[in-house]
Amino acid sequence: MVGIDTGGTFTDLVAIVGGELRVHKLPSTPHDPAQAVIEGLKTILGGAPADAVTYSSTVATNALLEKKGARVALLVDAGFEDLIEIGRQNRTELYALAPERPEPLVPRALRIGVGGRTLFDGKIATPLAPAELARVRKLAQRSGAEAFAVCLLHSYANPTSENAIARALAPLKRSLSVSHRILAEYREFERLSTTVINAYVAPRMVAHLENLERSLGRARLRVMQSNGYAIGTRLAREEPVRTILSGPAAGVVGAGDLVRAMGVDRFITFDMGGTSTDVSLFDRAARIRSLSYPSGYAVRTPVIDIHTVGAGGGSIASVDAGGSLKVGPQSAGANPGPACYGRGESPTVTDADLVAGRLVAENFLGGSMRLFPARADRAIARLARAMRTSAANAARGVIRVVNANMERAIRVITVECGHDPRNFALMAFGGAGPMHACELALDLGIRRIVLPRNPGLLCAWGALGAPLGREYSMTVRETAPELRRLRARARPLITRARAELTAQGAKPAAIKLDLRADVRYRGQSYEIEVALGPRFVNDFHQAHRRTFGYAAPDAPVEVVNLRLRAAAGGPSIAPARIPRAKSKPMPISKMSVIVGGARRIVPVFARDEIGAGAKINGPAIIVELSATAYLSPEFTLRNDDFGNLHLELR
Amino acid sequence: MKLDPVTLAVMNNRMAAIAEEMGVVLGQTGFSPNIKERRDFSCALFDGRGELVAQAAHIPVHLGSTPLSVRAVIERLELAPGDVAIVNDPFAGGTHLPDVTLVAPIFLDGERRPFAYAADRAHHADIGGMAPGSMALATEIYQEGFRLPPVKLMVAGKPARDVFELFFANTRVRDEREGDLRAQLAALRVGADRLLGLVAAVGRAEVAAAMEALKDYADRLMRATLKKIPPGVYRAADAMDDDGFDRGPIPIRVAIEVRGGHATVDFTGTAPQVRGSINANYAITLSATFYVMKCLAAEAVPANEGLMRPIKLIAPPATIVNALPPAAVAGGNVETSQRIVDVLFRALAQAAPERIAAASSGSMSNLTVGGYDTFRARHFSYYETIAGGAGAAPGHPGASGIHTHMTNTLNTPIEALEAYYPMRVTEYRMRRGSGGRGKFAGGDGLVRELECLVKSNVSLLTERRLIAPWGLAGGGDGAVGENYVVRRNGQREKLPGKTNLGLAPGDRIRIETPGGGAWGRTRK
Repeated sequence: MVGIDTGGTFTDLVAIVGGELRVHKLPSTPHDPAQAVIEGLKTILGGAPADAVTYSSTVATNALLEKKGARVALLVDAGFEDLIEIGRQNRTELYALAPERPEPLVPRALRIGVGGRTLFDGKIATPLAPAELARVRKLAQRSGAEAFAVCLLHSYANPTSENAIARALAPLKRSLSVSHRILAEYREFERLSTTVINAYVAPRMVAHLENLERSLGRARLRVMQSNGYAIGTRLAREEPVRTILSGPAAGVVGAGDLVRAMGVDRFITFDMGGTSTDVSLFDRAARIRSLSYPSGYAVRTPVIDIHTVGAGGGSIASVDAGGSLKVGPQSAGANPGPACYGRGESPTVTDADLVAGRLVAENFLGGSMRLFPARADRAIARLARAMRTSAANAARGVIRVVNANMERAIRVITVECGHDPRNFALMAFGGAGPMHACELALDLGIRRIVLPRNPGLLCAWGALGAPLGREYSMTVRETAPELRRLRARARPLITRARAELTAQGAKPAAIKLDLRADVRYRGQSYEIEVALGPRFVNDFHQAHRRTFGYAAPDAPVEVVNLRLRAAAGGPSIAPARIPRAKSKPMPISKMSVIVGGARRIVPVFARDEIGAGAKINGPAIIVELSATAYLSPEFTLRNDDFGNLHLELR
Repeated sequence: MKLDPVTLAVMNNRMAAIAEEMGVVLGQTGFSPNIKERRDFSCALFDGRGELVAQAAHIPVHLGSTPLSVRAVIERLELAPGDVAIVNDPFAGGTHLPDVTLVAPIFLDGERRPFAYAADRAHHADIGGMAPGSMALATEIYQEGFRLPPVKLMVAGKPARDVFELFFANTRVRDEREGDLRAQLAALRVGADRLLGLVAAVGRAEVAAAMEALKDYADRLMRATLKKIPPGVYRAADAMDDDGFDRGPIPIRVAIEVRGGHATVDFTGTAPQVRGSINANYAITLSATFYVMKCLAAEAVPANEGLMRPIKLIAPPATIVNALPPAAVAGGNVETSQRIVDVLFRALAQAAPERIAAASSGSMSNLTVGGYDTFRARHFSYYETIAGGAGAAPGHPGASGIHTHMTNTLNTPIEALEAYYPMRVTEYRMRRGSGGRGKFAGGDGLVRELECLVKSNVSLLTERRLIAPWGLAGGGDGAVGENYVVRRNGQREKLPGKTNLGLAPGDRIRIETPGGGAWGRTRK
């Protein structure tokens, strides 16, 4: 059993072979991601054939990001051909001198208007005539498209016309994406956009998976989705849009698997990298959101709610014309990179960390990359002159300001969703996360930080333990919702879910169904998702009060959508234990670190040498291959049995 | 007042986050489509003097004008803890009647004067008056709807029931109004809670100092922007088509004098106020100027009072850029505001030709449909604005079918509109060829056609139906917009830019919005 992540520069593998846990890492092969997968599998399994592989793929993500998707023909109601371009008719930048929006994925010449009209209640106002079907099939055939997307108004209420088009197009043997099958929910633009993206990435995904399956032989292959569940390759080929944010999602799931064993099941992931930082909320399960905008395009399939801010280690610091310190969104990236990388001149967060003594120059990437502390000093000194303060204060200032950006990002996923961050642990990883975690936690009132072991493998780990599953939804618009009636309406979803999961190898008895409802006060437009149980109306009032500060128990409620989460439990996996500490951890060196307002000599520990159960009081610096951690004086570190560091406020 | 660069950045972040969080609550709990689907609202924080400190702007037209509401409230009412004021009177701090502003004082323990204020403004879908949607062709404000000078909506934490009842009795869709007000109140509570939390965390003196410092910061950024503009006087004129009653054009003239980090924006020479509703009150003109100046600044200037300090605004009273009672003003907010932006950019194009874009569609193409919904047995009132083409900028063509300048409201999904109102959308697409031609083409406008399923009243408040959005640097003008009614029998009649009319079931209203102007001559 193997979990694989092809996310970034490296392809990571985690395998359980005969009860033994193995890990492996090798450079990715972006031109053909399958190559690294095959290569990695050979190494990790010692040449033995793979039995079951689950992996998170970036094929769909990259097709969209690099605009290298298929030529898609779009079939929509006549008169609405441009909906894909109009979107919600708004702009993203309010104060840009000239507004811009992303290029539509289907050019005007490939949009085909179809006669006939379905209404909101499912009635068909104008049927789709056979002659019209023949006409559009001919147009579709001539379009030279590799994939078709079909999205008609109100198809969620009655899919007859969409199905008729699908049947008419089937003989053309192209990839076919039909809106009500992908997403049976109202709000035409978001459904349309999701369907088009699916069509746009499908041919690349199909070719990739076929290639991979050929190489894997008899192994059972599954693909991670953006919602944290795995699906079989048949579904992944039909609905690749569901995999678009699968890498980061797998990371959150992996984080959950890793620390659940330690009794931590409410945490905030804080993944601070070079150019951006991802945060997400894990409240016994990953939080799901239904709308996201990868590369600026609307996708309305469930994804793990990961909030990204454009600030990280490479963010450039400067003083603006009004005398405020700005950190980001400009980034020095990997090239030229922070001043201390030896090429650029701009002061960055990483330079500030180095000047503040939070980063150990000799240990950067395990000593494999040389840093130039003198260059960081010069860059920060220049910034300090602009700020009219000392270099130490400038470095601290950069850290404070970038942390304020992070704090705001975390408030978006906690406070703005009705959660108090103080009830959560902060799980920090990424190159810069562990350096900033303590001060960020103090700002947010968080009392516990977890630094997971092998953070680079979280995504592969998440793939390894991912349950098989899929989400289903339908718009019901029940204005006088009654539990029995809602359950009856959900029956087709349940039947479909059981059939699909069983077909992918799930044992019927192992399938868990979680039926939920999107509820709002009648007249509102934003719904809150609650479990569809006997007290769901009451649960909704409570959730509304928690999230928005008030409830209206006398106001009528409306159930807009039903959602079914169907999953067949993943393998139970346990991380490998590390040896118990035999003695008090010994520092490997000492260094000068800015602690609070002053410089202090602080001990440096090697993470690998800290045994299970060992404790260290801050201030201290902990170094490991991929990152450096700063333990501030307010925290005490304790290593758990699996090598995860727990930092607790004293 | 000057804070160190770090504290300034951190406090700027925190204040903006509070205003944004208020916006999340209001947007997600509002009831009328204007708020929930179109996000026609804004939330803001003010200091103890009523000066704007932070605003989450979803809609630029609210920027700069909300402070006048707060000041009107402070002048007229003595607010105690737990009080909330309501105001929509355009001549006492409001903009147009559908924009209802709520203001709550924020008290610190043991203090007798408010430490700060939270305010939010939302466009309500109906506020009474002669036609559903309160955007009809009126000649005086009394016809436009229910007018609320600053009064207390909440007293010591308890609803002032009589004020609520008076309000509801004067609007058409009571439930919706009630839900929207509840959402506005909830957002104010969040604003107050968060600001009190910040005071508890960093201290009263620090927050008070930060409020001052943030205004000074915006002031400095704005002055730095103005210093980059060559000193001089830049003049421009543009015009409104008409006011819906008398013939136009109705000119708006401006002279912008820029010197040493300051600017005087003088609208002397602009037409006197008119009979129809396109009169902008002072708040609107201030907002439009605020918006243009914020666009001009290269850096993200925080939206607060300091931004306007280096700018002196002269808007002669009793003109269409500073209307006096009892002028009708519904269209000043949505239409004249766009023309004020056009004329300001036209003047600035002489000062900074390498940055300024040609005119965008210049109209929000406001459409209001109301009546009695026989299918659902209730009254309805539906309002929407329809996007147009954006003007081309030096270096790139204008975007098509997009909201520009003073508005940024979302469209109502067709599948929501048809499910809740007795209407059917029969066409919604780009209006090909409507963008101006040139080196960089103007964006295309939209075509939107709606069929009424019941007997309905329709109000149109549209502009740029006679005078086209201008091109720049030799680029062609965008096409003017056109409005039609298509009767059930297929007969098509052209409608004026501003009109009220009755539709029978099966009749369709068809709006073709203006394109944007082009930039630069096409090389032959």
